[in-house]
Amino acid sequence: MEKNQYELCIKVLKRFDKAGVLKDVILIGSWCIPFYKEYFAGIKYISTIKTRDVDFLIPNPHGIRANVNIPELLKDLGFIIGYRGAKGYIKLEHPDLVVEFLSPEKGKGTDRPIPLPKLGVNAVALRFLSLLTDNVIKAKVEDFEVLLPHPANFALHKLIIFQRRLKEDKAIKDRNAAVEILKALITKGEAVTIKHVFNSMLPKWQKKVIKGLQEAKEREIILILQNAGK
Amino acid sequence: MGVIKGVLKEELENSIRMKSDYERELAKLPKGSLIKKKVKGHEYYYLLLREKGKVRFIYKGKVSDEEIKKYKEAKEYRAKYRKLLSQVKKQIRFLRSTLRGKESI
Repeated sequence: MEKNQYELCIKVLKRFDKAGVLKDVILIGSWCIPFYKEYFAGIKYISTIKTRDVDFLIPNPHGIRANVNIPELLKDLGFIIGYRGAKGYIKLEHPDLVVEFLSPEKGKGTDRPIPLPKLGVNAVALRFLSLLTDNVIKAKVEDFEVLLPHPANFALHKLIIFQRRLKEDKAIKDRNAAVEILKALITKGEAVTIKHVFNSMLPKWQKKVIKGLQEAKEREIILILQNAGK
Repeated sequence: MGVIKGVLKEELENSIRMKSDYERELAKLPKGSLIKKKVKGHEYYYLLLREKGKVRFIYKGKVSDEEIKKYKEAKEYRAKYRKLLSQVKKQIRFLRSTLRGKESI
């Protein structure tokens, strides 16, 4: 299934690229980890369990110019629309992959999906996602580029959200992925970048990151971050 | 609960939902397929259906290109969705047996 999954993911990305959508969305979640490969070239690479969920982050407000019906774009690959929850969040489902759109929550937040009529889908609004839109890198995949959150942002975001997970096993998975990425960044000599991202965060969020690292018993990383202001 | 077991459990829940979503999409497709017959040089269409195990031909006469396209597409999607539905069913069986067989993965 793994090979099929990867190939299908590439097909989806290719179609998004051709349709002019890929440049306006950021690939997040466990599926961005394989695409960090190039960024961490030569460093003992992080491994995490990939689920079927391929999450695309749409900045809020979004700058999507393309008028592309995504369910139609992926229909012949076998994707179907699945409605989830009472509010009708849209997921595009295939036995190998599930495509979903997310967007940073603004203000008091809402439990309603954010409509994206130009794309024929909607997005789930979630807190803390703005951290992933602040600092983005480009990864070359075959003949196109995909936007990913900088690994430091990705890891610090995971450290915040794992504490909010209802399912313990998912929390452990997120925490482990975050720590692995931070360690890989430190090995790469990018402790300064981690500090920089940490410094740019709201104090409330910084506290959550420290709490998460304390829970993970990662004293070395805490020391790096606590020297962040110095 | 182990991390892998938790992931598998979630995947099982997703697969069960996906199964009913594919069944819904299959039910939405127009039933049967169009069959062309040539009678005295004229082309007529019949809708070939299977009802309660029996094959039925329903006379449709002359049909528009649009309708021909609709049934052709439905046939393709039916085959595709059936294949994917069978894949989902296999996943469900696999995930259920894996979760039953191991207490802590």
